[in-house]
Amino acid sequence: MENIESNQPITHDTRTLITEAFVQHVLETGREPVSVYKFAQGIGIREEEFYSYYTSFLGVKGGVWEQIFERTIAHMEAQPVHASYSAREKLLAFYFTWIEEMKKYRSYLLALYLQPEGFRKAMPAELRSFKIRFQAFANEIIQQGIATDQIVERKYISDKYADALWAETLFILQFWLKDTSTSFEKTDAAIEKSVNLAFDLAGRTAVDSLVDFAKFLYQSK
Amino acid sequence: MPDKPQEQNHIPTSKVQRASKFIGTGAKVGGNYIKHYAKKMVNPSLSKDELHASNAEDIYASLSELKGSALKVAQMMSMDKNVLPGAYQDKFMMAQYSAPPLSYPLVVRNFQKSFGATPEMLFDTFTTSAVNAASIGQVHKATKDGKVFAVKVQYPGVADSVSSDLRMVRPFAYRLLNMNARELDHYMEEVEGKLLEETDYKLEVKRSEEISQACSHIPNLNFPKYYPALSSEKIITMDWLEGVHLKEWLKTNPSQEARNKIGQALWEFYHHQVHNLKKVHADPHPGNFIIQDGVKLAVIDFGCVKVIPEYFYHGYFSLLKKDVLLNDAELDRLFREQEFISDQDTAAEQVYFKTVFKEMISLLGKPFHTTEFDFADDAYFTQLYALGDRVSKDKMFRNSRQARGSRHGLFINRTYFGLYSILNQLRAHIQTTIPDWFK
Repeated sequence: MENIESNQPITHDTRTLITEAFVQHVLETGREPVSVYKFAQGIGIREEEFYSYYTSFLGVKGGVWEQIFERTIAHMEAQPVHASYSAREKLLAFYFTWIEEMKKYRSYLLALYLQPEGFRKAMPAELRSFKIRFQAFANEIIQQGIATDQIVERKYISDKYADALWAETLFILQFWLKDTSTSFEKTDAAIEKSVNLAFDLAGRTAVDSLVDFAKFLYQSK
Repeated sequence: MPDKPQEQNHIPTSKVQRASKFIGTGAKVGGNYIKHYAKKMVNPSLSKDELHASNAEDIYASLSELKGSALKVAQMMSMDKNVLPGAYQDKFMMAQYSAPPLSYPLVVRNFQKSFGATPEMLFDTFTTSAVNAASIGQVHKATKDGKVFAVKVQYPGVADSVSSDLRMVRPFAYRLLNMNARELDHYMEEVEGKLLEETDYKLEVKRSEEISQACSHIPNLNFPKYYPALSSEKIITMDWLEGVHLKEWLKTNPSQEARNKIGQALWEFYHHQVHNLKKVHADPHPGNFIIQDGVKLAVIDFGCVKVIPEYFYHGYFSLLKKDVLLNDAELDRLFREQEFISDQDTAAEQVYFKTVFKEMISLLGKPFHTTEFDFADDAYFTQLYALGDRVSKDKMFRNSRQARGSRHGLFINRTYFGLYSILNQLRAHIQTTIPDWFK
């Protein structure tokens, strides 16, 4: 049913044992374990041992997200062509690899995150560490984009680019969770189109020229 | 590789945007009509040519920004000169050369989904950007072990968008093509079916192999080899064929002999398909053919294949026989069979439509009535378009309660219009062949 093993070799230490057992539990029961005590007992470790890795199930869920992110980056960079990608292509490649990685956890993710109202109320807290890592990655892409003129630096707005890309990431996640098309083709299209939109907006647009022109008129009065 | 900021800058991104594109065009076209009638009040002799020309500009500008089925419909309409007034024609012919590319990461993703491997793992080299755009996909050039391949990759979600795109085109086509709603529905179904088939690349590979094998005996005709192991629902791998497109070839001023040779190969290709295989490559627009060194015609796209039902075949081609016009009772039977007239028509309507169809048929069948036909004869084509134009504006047709002509006829007519039009561009002199039962 579920393929938790990744193609990447991972060390089977206690940390991964915990996350894997947690995913397994959610898959089989459709919900989180009732208590850390019960859970630790189930996998044959003492409760205090659990706490030396994670402080709560929230941390474990965060760990799953981190794992997906790390594997995505590893898989993506393993492709020789990746080094020659432009900023736009790097972001596209990230999302495509990411949803492919998430596919291995789809049932788990659906059980925990498929809600009709989406994340509008609040982003699940366990996404925080994933967010920090993603934004570091996004900033690299943005820097490359700026260096190659695909992205324009704008006062005040530039700082928000990484936040905007994070919002896009959440959008893609929810789109994918709800996607029922054959081999998630619609998500592919959503990624392609939303990344293009993001880069078109971040690149030089008519608005920049308008602002520039308005500034000129104002200053030369 | 240098960064390419220009890729994918101009496709309307969502369905809403695509719809608004159409609405925008509709409004512009409406404006053109108003302009036309305003001018006409001042100058009553003004013809509709100018109006059609400005409409064509606006429609084309809008359609060329859309991909997938909308573009397909544009191409289809451009082929069927019978449906489309003369001025629209040229503009639409250009549609096949537009459509912006897919990003390379998505191409990689399609490969991984289909074969579980990246293009680099399957080929020695693979171009990261498309070398050619097709209406529902794009072509990359690849090499392996010294052989060169053309790899066609389909845009994601095309199959899903076919039906919704056609719904968007519908009201628009209805207003602009002078077709009535009944007629349009009648044909849209057939078009939708064909478009959905075109999105199935596995089927295309199967049919390409079938037809190219069955036609391999025809002289001066060439087909690429297909590689089913490197093809999937979304990807087709075939031999890369060197050559130039028809339009470029014609610019090099080929001799009459060379043009006849290409034209003859084309004619025989269609003759064999229609009369022997009863399965026809129903998409004869110039972009699907290339001319190779040594004056050979290569067929590179088998997206649209129409299977001709036996009952339709006999009725349709019996009408093209030279002497068929003499026998009134027989003609009546055939017209009914081909759904040109029906019992719902009044006697007066029957007489009227029969006269028009007779005229159309004798004109269309003209190349079949002699053993040689000169397709450089512009007078013949002017006659053909003039008739099409007249029919499309005809009040009796527009107000008719039902669709005229079998739906199978849609693609067969389109095939013949396309074939004739290419032969006309080639200015070729053809030894026309007819099946034995025709004589």
